[in-house]
Amino acid sequence: MSDAVISASGRTPVRMEVNGVAETVYVEPRWLLSDVLRHQLGLTGTHVGCEQGVCGVCTVLLDGVLVRSCLLFAVQVDGHRVTTIEGVTPDEGLSPIQASFQRHHGLQCGFCTPAMVLTAEALLRTHPNPSEADIRDAFSGNICRCTGYQFIVDAIRGCSEEER
Amino acid sequence: MGRLKPNSFAYYRPNSVASALQCLATQPDAKILAGGQSLVPAMNFRLSRPACLIDINGIEALAHVEVCADKVVLGALVHHQQIHEHPSIRQHFPVLAEAAGEIGHLAIRNRGTLGGSLVHADPASELPAAMVALRAVMEVAGVDGTRRIPAAEFFVGWMTTALDTGEMLVSVHVPLSSSSVYGFAEFARRPGDFAYVGAFVERAANESGAVTWFGVSDKPEYRPMSALPRDAAARQAEWQQLAAKLEVLDEPRMRRKLAVVLAERAYQKVEEAKIG
Amino acid sequence: MTVRFEQSKPQFTGARVERAEDARLLTGRARYLDDLDFPGTLEVAFVRSTHAAAKLVSVHAEAASRMPGVRMVWTAADIHVTLDSPEFGVNQPVLAKDEVRYVGEPVVAIFADSRYAAEDAADTVEVTYADLPPVLHIREALQAETRRVHAERPNVMYHQEYQTDGFEEAFGNALHHLSATFTLHRQTAVPMETRGCMAAPDGATNRLHVYVSHQSPHGFRADLCKFLGVPEHAVRVIVPEVGGAFGIKAMFYPEYVVVALAALRLRRPVKWIADRSECLLADCHARDGIHDVDVAFDGDGRILALRDHLMGDSGAYPAVPFCGSIGETSLAARMLTGPYKIPHLSFTIDCTYSNKAPLGAYRGVWGPPASFVQEGVVDRVARALHKDPVAVRRINLLQPEDFPYRTASGFVYDPGSYAESLETALELVDYDGFRKRQREDRSRGVYRGIGISVFVEPTAMAASEAGDIPYEAATVRMEPTGTVTAALGLGPSGQGHETTMAQLIADELGVDVRDVVVLHGDTDSAPYGGGTGGSRSGTIGGGAALTAGRKLRDKLLALAAHLLEADVADIELKDGAAHVAGVPAQRLTVQQLATAAYTDVNRLPEGMKPGLEVMARYQPTRPITFSNGTHIAVVDVDVATGQIQTVDYVVANDCGVLINPTIVEGQIHGGVAQGIGEALLEELKYDTEGQLTTVSLSDYLLPTTHDIPNIRIRHLVTPSESKGGFKGMGEGSLIAAPAAVVAAVSDALEPFGVMVSSMPVTPDQVLEWIDADQEKKVDSVDSKVYFEN
Repeated sequence: MSDAVISASGRTPVRMEVNGVAETVYVEPRWLLSDVLRHQLGLTGTHVGCEQGVCGVCTVLLDGVLVRSCLLFAVQVDGHRVTTIEGVTPDEGLSPIQASFQRHHGLQCGFCTPAMVLTAEALLRTHPNPSEADIRDAFSGNICRCTGYQFIVDAIRGCSEEER
Repeated sequence: MGRLKPNSFAYYRPNSVASALQCLATQPDAKILAGGQSLVPAMNFRLSRPACLIDINGIEALAHVEVCADKVVLGALVHHQQIHEHPSIRQHFPVLAEAAGEIGHLAIRNRGTLGGSLVHADPASELPAAMVALRAVMEVAGVDGTRRIPAAEFFVGWMTTALDTGEMLVSVHVPLSSSSVYGFAEFARRPGDFAYVGAFVERAANESGAVTWFGVSDKPEYRPMSALPRDAAARQAEWQQLAAKLEVLDEPRMRRKLAVVLAERAYQKVEEAKIG
Repeated sequence: MTVRFEQSKPQFTGARVERAEDARLLTGRARYLDDLDFPGTLEVAFVRSTHAAAKLVSVHAEAASRMPGVRMVWTAADIHVTLDSPEFGVNQPVLAKDEVRYVGEPVVAIFADSRYAAEDAADTVEVTYADLPPVLHIREALQAETRRVHAERPNVMYHQEYQTDGFEEAFGNALHHLSATFTLHRQTAVPMETRGCMAAPDGATNRLHVYVSHQSPHGFRADLCKFLGVPEHAVRVIVPEVGGAFGIKAMFYPEYVVVALAALRLRRPVKWIADRSECLLADCHARDGIHDVDVAFDGDGRILALRDHLMGDSGAYPAVPFCGSIGETSLAARMLTGPYKIPHLSFTIDCTYSNKAPLGAYRGVWGPPASFVQEGVVDRVARALHKDPVAVRRINLLQPEDFPYRTASGFVYDPGSYAESLETALELVDYDGFRKRQREDRSRGVYRGIGISVFVEPTAMAASEAGDIPYEAATVRMEPTGTVTAALGLGPSGQGHETTMAQLIADELGVDVRDVVVLHGDTDSAPYGGGTGGSRSGTIGGGAALTAGRKLRDKLLALAAHLLEADVADIELKDGAAHVAGVPAQRLTVQQLATAAYTDVNRLPEGMKPGLEVMARYQPTRPITFSNGTHIAVVDVDVATGQIQTVDYVVANDCGVLINPTIVEGQIHGGVAQGIGEALLEELKYDTEGQLTTVSLSDYLLPTTHDIPNIRIRHLVTPSESKGGFKGMGEGSLIAAPAAVVAAVSDALEPFGVMVSSMPVTPDQVLEWIDADQEKKVDSVDSKVYFEN
């Protein structure tokens, strides 16, 4: 990749693979990835709760790794792969993780839920049988104001390899 | 007060340290963007308003962990979670791996970088103190070449380092030591929050030792001890004597009290590590 | 126990039905406010006061008007609407005029093509302030010589006194007395979705469409129309998916008027979404009260008389439509005796203005403070008499034979399982075993404490933060295909009403719960109703769903009887069909019935009107039904660092008949989590200048996965007289939890003489108490037995 230079007011094309689809978006350097996903690409399943990286509701996968989309500028993901909640949802019905959240009542208002599902995806890829402590550690950066977390923990355990 | 959208800025993405340094030299009011996990929140609040960001994430040379005969070299772009999980770091510097795991939360650790944390130099963060405790050396590049700064001299005050204008941190050299055992403990209101107070304690083979505190003053506080007492009461007296002399940030009584408590807890980790 | 249905056992009511809402929420397809977008929408940034109390010397916004992308800039000179509170004689200009009264008060509104552009313009606005001495503390505001927050009004904006006959005598004659002051710091609800609204003139109907994240669609429309001076048929309010509300979204705010008026002026959509700092600054706040309490009791621990001077900080303006300080204090005062037989009560209430954000509703409202006082009093009596806190509760608790019970404040409690809930929770937590282990723990330097909170929750009240609509309405329509569309005036924000209301209606109509869709949140489709708040939706909304469902059921039965040529009393309606009892083959599906009702109207019985659509309102016969339960928390206190960890938690809960136990448990979990936050973490801090110093989520601490233990719940069922036997339960868990947690801290630190009297309890306080204990220790009954922090 060669040096890239973009002036402050200029817009530049950003090419990224979003949920398996090649997208080109014209952005100002200061546009946050969360805003671009939501308002340029219409992927409103990614939510915004604090824009300082604390609440976790904007969490997405960047090249398969959990990141806060409110702490990334869209220009930074040029050439990278982004996965949002829309990208882990099957064409019909729910994924096993989503179904487990429903079965265990791991959501109420649903605002933090897409980020919770993505965090579960990432955790279960590396820890197929997480302990309760593993789950509570992995989710410590995802704030939920409704559930008290217990049914979320149950939902993750409910879709571990052992439970399946 | 909130203004949760950043100001406009020009964006540079150099692909080498040399061109990053050139940007830094030519662009007024430029800042280096590494993981961005502290810088971007500050920009979203408009507390930081750089005119130009130099995104170094494309410089692959800064992303390596290299194990040498006498040291481990960590590139500035190594992520906290990599430090936490890396087998070589876990083997040689378990205390560093442990401390890195206490930074923020998983998504933050995935993105936050060693270099970013060290240059940001928040007095409550783990990695600057870890580097001081481990007697690491910072490799810093400028247009005139590179220089090396011992960690203890790198952190000079409240969010301030010995970096000169136009310089950037490229790597950290952590010396291998077969004789010292380290322990780490910190106190934060919630796990993942910035530590209120933390401590690294080292016991060397010759019964000497050291404590490095963070979160007590404006920078990591390293205190060598010619003898690290094995007797609990003597050790407690030693911690208290050292803590009493710290120039604490605020709430002196509480911070000094916790400095003592955490030094002792870090020491207990040393004992556990030796048994383990 | 479940409610008895005349003809068939309910299939869905009481079952753990999975939620209808979940699929759209889990897949990211749900549409919250900021997910709505119309071409040409302008976004708003507000410039807010950075001073707590000041005259506005000048507001220069000319430069902002010239910034790229800016379409309009408003100051107080451009918009003359005030949020009027006629009963207090205080009106809040929607953009501050002449004077600012709290940090975060809107001063300038900027309308631009994007939020980025609006914020850039906001940066250029220059406001000059001439500071006034800010009024920041209740006790200070109570002094006559303190500067008035509103020059034309005294700072004491509400005062009430009450005393039972014979109080002074009962109090004076008692053997023992103690006094304590309880302090609750400021908090706010912090739903994960921030507040916001969007207004868009509708070209098709020439009305204004207002999209808002809110709990009461009709209440919001009434307030907006009142302030705009437009008739209600000219405004359609649409509440999209709501990402948490907890009371703060039951309130009306200045920004909503600004957005609606700008949309009307500019003839284009205008949207404002609060950022998180704006939420912490300018969502309504809660708590911030002081209780000076005196208690009289006998040697057995029987509480004879209770006196409280309740003081509430209202903030700078009475919040519309629910002034939080009055709501918190006046109901707390009346509920202060809780589940205990305390015959005498005396209270004085003072609510005062301050230069802080207005106080409104947060889940539980009066309850967490009242529980804190009520349980704190019981624990203090126990400690003063060297008795176990359980023993003192047993002596004072209402027993089954006491119901209906008239409290010292005149409330009449319907039957509940007060004493049973305590015994159930004690068994769940193994209280006796805990006490044995506690002694061993303490000898090892481990400080583990247990705290009990027995609560009573008045639910489904005629008036609450959801307004003073004492009824709820439901329309239920069976479509020609036999599926069902219902609509209610509720405003859910995660409580699962689409599921629970469908469960009730499905059972009435004998159809599958998946064949019932429940609409809400749109004033065009929903019948006029009160919305969600005050733990009213399950009881009053559920009653409306049952009433409407029953009316439609009756029509279906009559139609089926006619078509099957049978007596109506012999028709059974279940599994999607009506059949003659004992003759299963003689049946018609609901689809066949519905088709007949709509399209084969010649076959209808004489006098029956075509169609299958009913609307019904339901108002409970009792003005309040009281839920109850017991929470017990176990905490570990690290006396070296002051860190407090909640390690175990049990709940015995009685909300009458359960519609969906899983949803009830979810509500309990969430309320306990918020209660742990209230007790240990959450605090809005103003500095001495009146600056809010907790304007981000790194300063305002919310509970995370590490702060909340697993909670063990046991359900008790004492049905109410309401239709279905339901009682409300949305707030009880937050009402009970903070008191349980702080009581556990007091119990853990009993060896240090600590009795917690302010929330939240922080590590530095713990260390201070322990330090102080090393300096002095006192020991007697009627003097101070413990530290009042």
